[in-house]
Amino acid sequence: MSTPQGNALQGLRVVEFTDEIGSYCGRLLADLGADVIKVEPPDGGRQRHSPPFFQAAGAGPDTSLAFWVHNTSKKSVVLDLETPRGQDLARKLVLTADVLLEDHPVGYMAAHGLGFETLRVNKPALVYASITGFGQTGPHSGFAYSDIVGQAMGGLMTLAGEAADPPNKIYGKQSDVSASIQAAQGILLAVLSAEATGRGQLVDVSAQEAVQLSQETAMQTWDLQKKNRVRTGESGAIPLRLPGVGVYACKDGHVMCFVIAPAGKDFPALVDWMREKGLAADLDDEPYAGICNALNFGFLTRLMGEPEKLQTVIPALAHINDVLAAFFASMTATEAYEEGQRRTLLNGIVSSPRDLGENKQLRARHWFRELDFDYLGKTLEFPGAPYRLSETPVAISRPPKLGEHTDSVLAELA
Amino acid sequence: MTALPLEGLRVADFSWFGAGPIGAQLLATFGAEVVRVESESKIDSLRVAHPFAMNKDGTFKTGYNVSGYFNNFNAGKLSMQLNLNTERGQEVGYRLIEKSDIFITNFTPRVIDKWNLRYEQLAKVNPRLIAAYAPMQGLEGPHRDFLGFGAVLTPVTGISYMSGFPNRPPFGVGTNYPDYVINPGHTITAVLAALRYRNRTGKGQMIELPQVESVVNALGTAVADYLANGNVQMRGGNRSATASPHGAFRCADDPTSVNSPDRWVAIACRSDAEWRSLCAALGAAEAGADVRFATLEARKTNEDALEALLSGWLRDRRAEDVMALLQAGGIASGVVQNAQDILDKDEHMKAREYYWYLDHPETGRSAYDGPPMRLSETPGQLRAPAPLLGQHTLDVCDRILGLSGDEIADLLAEGVLI
Repeated sequence: MSTPQGNALQGLRVVEFTDEIGSYCGRLLADLGADVIKVEPPDGGRQRHSPPFFQAAGAGPDTSLAFWVHNTSKKSVVLDLETPRGQDLARKLVLTADVLLEDHPVGYMAAHGLGFETLRVNKPALVYASITGFGQTGPHSGFAYSDIVGQAMGGLMTLAGEAADPPNKIYGKQSDVSASIQAAQGILLAVLSAEATGRGQLVDVSAQEAVQLSQETAMQTWDLQKKNRVRTGESGAIPLRLPGVGVYACKDGHVMCFVIAPAGKDFPALVDWMREKGLAADLDDEPYAGICNALNFGFLTRLMGEPEKLQTVIPALAHINDVLAAFFASMTATEAYEEGQRRTLLNGIVSSPRDLGENKQLRARHWFRELDFDYLGKTLEFPGAPYRLSETPVAISRPPKLGEHTDSVLAELA
Repeated sequence: MTALPLEGLRVADFSWFGAGPIGAQLLATFGAEVVRVESESKIDSLRVAHPFAMNKDGTFKTGYNVSGYFNNFNAGKLSMQLNLNTERGQEVGYRLIEKSDIFITNFTPRVIDKWNLRYEQLAKVNPRLIAAYAPMQGLEGPHRDFLGFGAVLTPVTGISYMSGFPNRPPFGVGTNYPDYVINPGHTITAVLAALRYRNRTGKGQMIELPQVESVVNALGTAVADYLANGNVQMRGGNRSATASPHGAFRCADDPTSVNSPDRWVAIACRSDAEWRSLCAALGAAEAGADVRFATLEARKTNEDALEALLSGWLRDRRAEDVMALLQAGGIASGVVQNAQDILDKDEHMKAREYYWYLDHPETGRSAYDGPPMRLSETPGQLRAPAPLLGQHTLDVCDRILGLSGDEIADLLAEGVLI
């Protein structure tokens, strides 16, 4: 292949047979400069028909934002794997590649002449990555999978939401995304090995396993203490409503505070701010002033160890919290975030998609990209990359139309 | 067996908490020698965070080496104590960096400046270095010095707003979610790509991963929808636009599920045929013919009634039985599992031996997450449990840095190796 220049994965060819679980993996490789060819069925997969669509153009396989966000910088080739010709062309295509990436149910690829054992005979250096809900082996390897099932079986959902509600899934197909991210690392590890030794291998990723680390401490809490972590909703890790900890409504949104954490200034700095705006109410009077001055992790720990003392203090804590809530309700979420941080108070805006689109930091760093959607006659703003590399900056190009490169890629093969 | 992919490489792990160390741990698992630089003068908070191992009498073990939170992110690493607040400490740090291939940090830009760990400075002593920086907001920009904690990352990046039920405030997802897969995973993806580039060109480089940018990139369609359509999506609970029923449904309580007796099953029914199959599996075939639910559009229109109906069918059944029944009918469904389920009851996880049980000198025998990807020829190895604080200080000084006995004694006396 040509001399590497400007792209970290220059010269690496990936042929992917993915739909929802594995497409983000291909995107990560493509945006880093790999030549990623997505083989798609004639109608496109499920993701191509998933909303939301680009509204100005209406619904269709080339206007799905769900497809776009996981398929930038790739080529698209339509092949019907149910036909001998389709399988034959797919095989020829894979034999020009360094990596095969797929997320079909276990056994599908082998049944269509595209199994690892078949292909490695002619391509011993081939890296073959399979991403599925539960992995290639084991009693559940044949299970039907969807993102919510991965989040459920993987232990994430049980930790999210109010106890009184059903467990929550995390937005954004996080089981699929986690599987893709683990697979990208696995593929690159295998590529490094193959480039050094000439030997390829299988990379088996189970979405259920991919999310395990995201249980944070639940696994260890069971293993070491035989207790299950449970979802606690708004109270979070702290078992009582403390002023300066948690979500507060603002005029136009919410802000999340964690002033008690051992980072930044403590509650008195927050009261200073409230006082400056004339909204400190009676917090400078006792018993509130004393409590405000003492509010930190040590105070909380002592209180938790003295239940009687705790009972006497709870009404005061509730009052302080009411005053604080009224304070935040008087301003916008952006103001609460930026001014709070300027005053070295630990808080964060609960960003809506609009807040993210207008986020001053993201804008100042030119994080958003302009992608040329020539076939729509538009240049569209698009989210940027997860990282910035100094020698080999990430270049993002628009996702491919269905079958856009079938002719050119097949011509190359002939 | 073929050598592990990263054998012969060395990582200077100047990170702490979650995102940095998890990334570095993956490199250790696949063959690199990873040196964690730590200091008792500013201990990694995870070393003193729950859950702690327990003594037989039910009390918690104490000290810096008994936290399951810390241990799980630091298997197979060496630990060296080094006080970077001293000039001599920074010199020693540079010596390590000089002899490393990869440098990882998630320290704040202020600390990086204070400790002279900027890329330009490191590249001078080691031009082939691949240096990964993962600050919360960025190494530059108007929010560069904003305080960051995992707790704040989830709301700032949009995860909180977009997750959960619409009638609830956006309080988050129960954990510092981005720390564990998204941020370390993206970091290591970039590091590995940079390694390949270095193999081909001899050049190192800097990788900057502002955690906010990393997460928003993986936030589904929410931001793209705003940018392209001006549409501000709202959190939608557990429902889906393309599948119905889709959500978590309550099953029979299980008192053996410790402090978590309420049991749920997640179901994603993705076609009309699957809906009919679901009805048949649950002994409610007539519902499969009900026009109110016959098509996706109809099910979405009548989703409240649909969910109430389904809940009624499931409330007295064991979640495990429902999963088995529906999976037999080809429908994606799974128990909402907790850690007890995953470690003790999930036959599939056991068969795949995902969890590794390692013996640690102070924590005792405990479970560690295994590698989250399985390579057939060069499988990842957890070669040792997490290190004790400073367990390898002398070994690193001697074997890796080539310091003499006298030099090491001086450093100890000067309080540099603490």
